[in-house]
Formats: sequence, C-alpha cells, structure tokens
Amino acid sequence: MRDTRRARLVIGLLLAAALVLITVDHRATNGTMLAPVRDVASTVFGKVEGASATVTAPITGFFKTLSNAPGAERVITELRKENAQLKNDLYAQRLNRDRIAKLDKMLGLAGLGRYRIVPAQVVARRATPGFEEAVEIDIGSGDGVRADMTVLSGDGLVGRVVHAGPSTSTVVLLTDPALSAGARMEGGNELGVVSGLGEAGGNDNLIKFRMLDSSSPVQVGRRIVSFGSKGSTPYVAGVPIGVVERVDTTPGELTRTAYARPFADLSAIDVVGVVTQAPKRDPRDSVLPPMPKPAAPRPAKAPDARGDQSAQLRQAESERSRSDQAGTDRAGSDETSGTTQSDPTEADRAVPGQVEQRRTEPRPQARPAAPAAPRELVRAHASESPRSGHEPREPAGHAAPGHVEQAGEQRRQDRGA
Amino acid sequence: MLRNLAAAALILAALVLQVSLVNRLSPRLGPDLVLLVVLILAARRGAVPGAVIGFCGGLAYDLMPPSAHALGQYALVMCALGWLAGRAGGQMTLPIVMFCAAIAPGLAAGIGALLGDPGVNWTVLKTAWPKAAVCNLLFAPLVLWVVNKLERRRRGRRSEFVTGWRRGTA
Repeated sequence: MRDTRRARLVIGLLLAAALVLITVDHRATNGTMLAPVRDVASTVFGKVEGASATVTAPITGFFKTLSNAPGAERVITELRKENAQLKNDLYAQRLNRDRIAKLDKMLGLAGLGRYRIVPAQVVARRATPGFEEAVEIDIGSGDGVRADMTVLSGDGLVGRVVHAGPSTSTVVLLTDPALSAGARMEGGNELGVVSGLGEAGGNDNLIKFRMLDSSSPVQVGRRIVSFGSKGSTPYVAGVPIGVVERVDTTPGELTRTAYARPFADLSAIDVVGVVTQAPKRDPRDSVLPPMPKPAAPRPAKAPDARGDQSAQLRQAESERSRSDQAGTDRAGSDETSGTTQSDPTEADRAVPGQVEQRRTEPRPQARPAAPAAPRELVRAHASESPRSGHEPREPAGHAAPGHVEQAGEQRRQDRGA
Repeated sequence: MLRNLAAAALILAALVLQVSLVNRLSPRLGPDLVLLVVLILAARRGAVPGAVIGFCGGLAYDLMPPSAHALGQYALVMCALGWLAGRAGGQMTLPIVMFCAAIAPGLAAGIGALLGDPGVNWTVLKTAWPKAAVCNLLFAPLVLWVVNKLERRRRGRRSEFVTGWRRGTA
C-alpha cells in the first residue's frame, strides 16, 4: 500500500514536472529559460552521435557500394574517357596559348613597323649540314605571297621567300650562306651587309656583318636592323636583325667584319609572318625591342659614354621623326606617335642622369647635326651605286671582298625567278 | 612491280620524315634518312637498279619543297653512291651502306662547291662532314633494321596469301 502510494506520488510529481516544463518552455519566448539545458544536451549528444557515425560509416559505405556496384563500372569508364579528353583539350590549349603568344608578339612587331603581314606556320625544314637552310611555310601565292618578300618572326628577321607555290612557299633563312641583306647599325648610319654563316655560325646561329666602311666604330652589344632594299624587295626597312657579339679586327682589310646573334631563334622557328606590304615610311629603330640594361661586368666608363651617345642619337632621332611627322604625315600621326614617344622614355631609362639636363637645353643644341647629314649622304650614295636589285652594294673601290657572295645571291635569285 | 612501288613508298616516307620531323627537331645535327634508305635499297638490288634508285631518290630529294640548291645535285651524288652500293653490296649490306653514308655529305658539299655555292670551304667542311657522317653511321643499323622488318612483313603477307586456304579450316 505504501508502495503504491509512494509510486503514485512519484508519478504525480514527474507528471507535474513534465507539465511545468512544457508550460515554462511553451510560455517562454524562444525557449530562453531552458536554453542552457538544451545547449548542454546538444553538446554531449552531438559528440556521441558524431563518434558513432564515424564508427559506422565504413559499414554503411560498404552496403552503399554493394547496392551501386552494377552502374559503377560504367561510371568509371565514362569518367576515364572524360578525363582523357580534358587532358587532350588542356594540352591543345597550352599549344594554342604558345601559338597565340607568338602570333601576338609578331603582330606587335609588325604594328610597330607598320608592316602588313600574313602569318604562316613552318611545315618542313631542310638543313643540309651547313650549306643550305630553308624552310617551307604553309601559305603561298593564293595568300598573296610572292617571291622576294621579307619573312619575319616576333623577334626579328627570319629570311626571305625564294619560291612561292600555290599553297606553300620556300623561305631561305638568315643563316644560309647564300643569303645577304643590307643592314644598318641601330641609332647610326653605319651600313653593312649581313650574310649567313651556316655551319660556321655554330650553335648560336651567328651571322656575319660586314661594315662597308672599315673606319666606322662597331661595338659589342649594338643592334642591327635591316636597311631596306630598293622598292622594299626583298627586304623591308627597319626589321630587327641581331646583336653584335664579336668584332674581328683584321688590319688591312677593306671591310670590317662583326658577328651578330640573330634576334629570331632560327633553330626552332614555327610561327612566322610574310611582309606583303612595306610601310610608307622607314620605321628606323622603332621596331627594336627596349634596350636592355647595360651589363654589369663591363668596365663602367665605356658603356656609359656609349649609352650617352646612343641615347642622344635616339633622342635626336625621335625628335626628328616627330617633327617630320608634324610636317608631312598628319594622317598617320596618331598611330606612330605611340611608337615615337616610347623612345624618349626608353632613353631616359638607359641614362637617368642625362634627362633633366637635356630637357632644359634648347632644342638645336640637344640635337646633334651629325646624324641627319650622313644619312642623306649615305642614302644618296647607296642609290647611286649599282645595285643587284635588292641590297646596298659596296662602293666601287671596295668591290673585291663582297664579290663571291654577291654572285651567289645573284645566281640564287636567277634560279628562284 | 610491287617491289618497285614498295621501294618508292619507302623513299617517299623517308623524305617526308626527313623534312618534317628530323630536320625540324634538330636542324644542325641529324641523320640523312633518305640517303640511308636509298643506299640500303641499292645495296640489295645491284648496281644498275641501285643507280636508278639513287637517281630517282636524289631527284625527289632535290624537288622536295624547301630547297634552294641546284636541281640534280643530290641526284648526281645518290646516283653515283647507289651504283657503288649496288656493285659492292650483296652479302655485306651494312658495311657498304655505312661507307657510302660516311662519304656522302662530303661529296654533296663538294658538288656544291664546284657549282659555286657560297660558304663551302675547308674549315666549314672539317666540322660539318664528321658530324653528318657520324650521325649517318649511328642511324644506319637502325634504318637497315626497319627496312628489313618492312620487307619481311611484305614477304610474310604474300606467303600468307598463298596459303590462305588454311583460314577456312581453322
């Protein structure tokens, strides 16, 4: 009896407690009164639940695998296929990106010089060890390519077209011993003839640069651009050719010989452009890449002096071209001003100390009169002397050393025509 | 007839491989596959067929698009070497092929020099000839093995064609 009474009491109390809890929890807004209790409970039980899930996960996974088994093999095959395709796409995209970068660079160069180019891909190459360097490109006369057109890459001169077929054409490279092109020193007016060395050029594909005037100064590190042939065939003016790497001083020679490293990587060329239309004005040095910083190990004095001189020449050059432009070429001034204006900043970078001084100086003093006069002189001279159609021939007194290669070029041209 | 067609196909394959793969991978240093194939074919066929194979192969090499030399230069060199290889070939194919492959670059350059090609002189030749010769020598056994393999497969197929009745029973 006592037991039942006690039991009744307990049950009554518990029920009452439950009712109180319900009431309290229900009445209190958002359960604020009992929130701590709930928090504690959720912390404890949550941990336990998590632990149990970790323990049972492999078991549920196993059963899931069993139930999914029939379709899994197919899914794996599909995914593998998709993966392979994605990998392929990625690879193709990487190749495309390389190609795009090269095309972009080439278009940039062509834009600087205002050459009109047709892009092409190298499809075959012939390299009879040392004696013949020619490549086949995938555009021909159907794309507007003719024999004796300049071929360039994003870095500089590559060679010229010797034969244009209907859909492919043959290009002789700069390193071919039979090729020679008129060239000019950057920033100055020293003229010369660039010709390939073939095997003798070594792994750097060096080319020979013969200065027509043996007394003109040649320093290592100066850059060479194409001089431009008569009527711009086969070479248009202003295409970067290379950097002088070695100078041979042979006393008693009529011409002075330097060896230059071409800008274009001629051992691995694939994207090139054929210049189908030459610019109206000679771009002079505006196509050359920005001047690199003078190398540290050289003695400090010499490069400074040279940099100063070349910077002044460049300054004069850009000023001159700007004034030319203002006078004559009003229509195209908006495009070219970009390139000419980049020159002074470049010069500033090369010789920081000189800028202020030069700017404060009155114009006529800052511009040396020298570059203008010899240029005209040389031009006149070059146009007077007999040409083989495309390159500046040496003055009559100097004719002997260049004879063989001129003859070779002539022969080759005859064959190509 | 079939043999000639196979030889022509082989030379054509060598030509394409040469200009579009070997020369593009390493323009300065590489074997002359066309020369090797022509020499191997010539050494197996005898003197006169060798000369004909050499002439045709050389002419095709001259005509192959990226070319800026006189037409017939390689035809002459390969014709002479094909004749030589065919004459001395027979049992000892590999030695004679190697010998011809070693002297070929010098011969070609010599013809070029006679024609007045600029840039051919002794100093260039002294570095270029040994390099080309060594490349050719290294690749001669490999090319010979490949040509042998192809020939054998062709013969094998023909014999299978003859004994084709077995297919029905199997």
